[in-house]
Amino acid sequence: MKSALLLLVLAARLWPATNPRAAEEANAALALAHEGKYEQAIPHYRAALKLDPTLPGLHLNFGLAYFKLNRFADAALLFEHATKEDPTSFQARVLLGMSYYGIRRFADAAVDLKRASEQQPDNTELRFKLAQCYLWSGQYEAAKSEFKFLLTKDPDSAPVHMLLGEVLDAAKQEEQATAEFEAAVKASAHEPEAHFGLGYMYWKQKRYEDAQHQFEAELADQPQHTQALTYLADAEIHSGNEKGSEEHLRQALELDPNIRLAHLDLGILLAARNDSDQAAAQFREAIRIDPKNPDAHYRLGRLLLALGREQEANVEFAKVKELAKREEPSPLIKAPGPDGDPPR
Amino acid sequence: MKRAFSLLPVLVWLALSQNVPPPIRFVYRPIDFRLESSETPQRHAPETMAGGVAIFDYNNDGNLDIFFTNGADIRTLEKSSSKYSDRLFENDGKGNFKDVTAKAGLAGAGFDMGVAVGDYDNDGYKDLFVAGVHGNHLYHNNGDGTFTDVTAKAGLNKPDSQYGPLWSVGAAWVDVNNDGLVDLFVVNYLAWDIRTEQPCESGPGTFDYCHPKFYKPTPNQLFLNNGDGTFRDVSAESGIRAHPGKGMGVGVADYDLDGLMDIFVTNDKQYNSLFHNKGNGKFEEVAFEAGVALTEDAQFISGMGVDFRDIDNDGYPDIAFVALENELFPLFRNTGKGGFMEVTDSSGMTRFSVAMAGYSPTLADFDNDGWKDLFVTRGHVQSLGYASRVPVEQPNSVFRNLGGMKFQALTAEAGLTAQPPRRHRGSSVGDLNHDGRLDVVATAISAPAEIWINDSPGSNHWIECQLEGAKSNRDGIGARIKVVAGGKAQYNHVSFAAGYASSSAGPVHFGLGSNQSVEVVEIRWPSGIVQELKDVAADRVVKVKEPAN
Repeated sequence: MKSALLLLVLAARLWPATNPRAAEEANAALALAHEGKYEQAIPHYRAALKLDPTLPGLHLNFGLAYFKLNRFADAALLFEHATKEDPTSFQARVLLGMSYYGIRRFADAAVDLKRASEQQPDNTELRFKLAQCYLWSGQYEAAKSEFKFLLTKDPDSAPVHMLLGEVLDAAKQEEQATAEFEAAVKASAHEPEAHFGLGYMYWKQKRYEDAQHQFEAELADQPQHTQALTYLADAEIHSGNEKGSEEHLRQALELDPNIRLAHLDLGILLAARNDSDQAAAQFREAIRIDPKNPDAHYRLGRLLLALGREQEANVEFAKVKELAKREEPSPLIKAPGPDGDPPR
Repeated sequence: MKRAFSLLPVLVWLALSQNVPPPIRFVYRPIDFRLESSETPQRHAPETMAGGVAIFDYNNDGNLDIFFTNGADIRTLEKSSSKYSDRLFENDGKGNFKDVTAKAGLAGAGFDMGVAVGDYDNDGYKDLFVAGVHGNHLYHNNGDGTFTDVTAKAGLNKPDSQYGPLWSVGAAWVDVNNDGLVDLFVVNYLAWDIRTEQPCESGPGTFDYCHPKFYKPTPNQLFLNNGDGTFRDVSAESGIRAHPGKGMGVGVADYDLDGLMDIFVTNDKQYNSLFHNKGNGKFEEVAFEAGVALTEDAQFISGMGVDFRDIDNDGYPDIAFVALENELFPLFRNTGKGGFMEVTDSSGMTRFSVAMAGYSPTLADFDNDGWKDLFVTRGHVQSLGYASRVPVEQPNSVFRNLGGMKFQALTAEAGLTAQPPRRHRGSSVGDLNHDGRLDVVATAISAPAEIWINDSPGSNHWIECQLEGAKSNRDGIGARIKVVAGGKAQYNHVSFAAGYASSSAGPVHFGLGSNQSVEVVEIRWPSGIVQELKDVAADRVVKVKEPAN
């Protein structure tokens, strides 16, 4: 995320002495920034801004210091000023967009990155970020268009195929989404998440055997991929391979004990072999993680009923009746984490 | 050399497979009926739900006739044009169907949806209950080729005091108290009023049919037959009314073999209802307890039509219903212990049905091998404008029962792509041409109806049982029939309610495989009388009258 998008060049010149004290503070800040001492530069920028907020480029350079420190919210405020001072500044526009990106304001980021991309339509890194912003702000048609543009520049880009696949999946165009993930795997068989994404698409279409192959391929590269382990196990349950499933579920839960689907599936396996207490415990754990998902309530209710605990079962069934099935969030679309970078 | 050798078995297999005809095959026959549901750009909900059909012998000439329900002007709910007429076609037994609607007096008046066949007055002539939007009709079969609308006389014309006029989708005749009179269970969909229905945008300026969540559920109804041509609404006192839903399909069977008929209702995007008949006029809703409220993963799916019959020949009625794409066509096996287990995955149905949208499932033995297959009319609920996202128009499919609760999907292989894909709706099954093979009639929105004549290869034998109740209701609805041929038993029961909004009211059909006779036919009548026929020759319709005791 940092500086990969464009070469962030600090203001090359020293400020003139129209307001000597302000210029002095600004130049001191700039000197420190050039040495990478952004924390130390900030008090000087702040002082300069107080003395003369009209110093040309001051907001931009001050914002850049915050940006370098990943303080995107502070940076965004300064870049907002900078873009007002110079609406045609490509650099200010990109930095503002990327600051919004850093604080997950993807819809706002898309507006500024779009304006910047109009100045540099062939800047593929910029268009990639723009496309991501469209995806993560739910603007699927625009995202689709951007990713398709990027594929004209690099038809073999696995990440772009994968992101386009995510867009298409979000737009419920499963067949096309699957085709994109297949293209991603073909373009780069070891691209992280590509096999998982394709496996997930197969899993959604209940092509469980095909899904298993993809999850296994992902796990060959990333043995601790908890989602691949969980979905592999789920696909195995549907295919009747219960032994393999349990092993994968236990591995996943050892890595992350908060995977709802893993607890649910483990409960199903345990219930099937009449290990009722352990099964109930797993269903309750699944409910603890997501109490609003009806399936664990339903499974638990049926288990309790089979154990003759009718009253407790009816409590669970009553909860199911209250809960309309929510659409499971896709594990594919992941907005960036706190560090500003998406997982892939 | 080695490579050439290894290819040989494959080549042999290919050569053989090209000569093996598909085990179930249909050929298309047209019939002069087109389902008109008054489709408008506003996409009012009933427009996409029409299409119930019945196969029954209206004049007791031994030939199965066809009755189609039809829509109406959606704004007025009146049949403002002859194109909306319900239609009755008389079968001459030679494959010719003559429109006798006018003489029969069955053109109808409102926006009709479903049809239930049953001889409610035990006079030997099958009557029709036609379910519709804000108006149902009971037509008494006069036995002379005409019908009389007796809705008001029967007391079936009253709007609900709480919900107002209801939108009924289908119905089932079933003797819930074994008094020898069939009672009427009416499936109601959801609360709909064109004056208050909010349009659902599918794009700028375009609309599509709304998700059921935008409408309130309504209760189903149970009317007890008083035996004098009138009915008494016992929905509340029986416990049925306490469970409103968005009913789409109804199947009736005695799932726990306690001698009382139970009722299963599929609901659209809501949990299903299983009304367990406790006797003494009471029903208990036990879908959760029995494990059929939802699919195993607790999905609230679009439950459509249903059939409720023994699929695995263990004597316990199982449940097959259908839904939209990604929701599968769920199969529930009766465990024989008062509950059901979903077997959709292990049956192969997951793989086959994941991309399909179904409306009307009917369980019947189409290849006469002794296992009931599943015919499903397919098509999406959404309008044609939705087609960019999913196939809205689809061909029908038949799922061949391989035994052991395993199925094989046949679509093109069964000849069912001989017609273009459509938004199919209702379906009815019966042997229309007396060749011992079950045929299918299917309807489709804004399209001609389809007759699918069963042209399956092979020379498997069959037998049909046409029951006549004496102490039990005349149709024998609820009677359980066990047929033993070649040492193997199979079961069915008399219930005309099958599929979506439709009735299949021909004799009860059994495929016998290579057996040219049946060792035993055992009939357990609703009266409790058990009747046995021994050493019955195959390939015929056996008429069985209930003995006095």
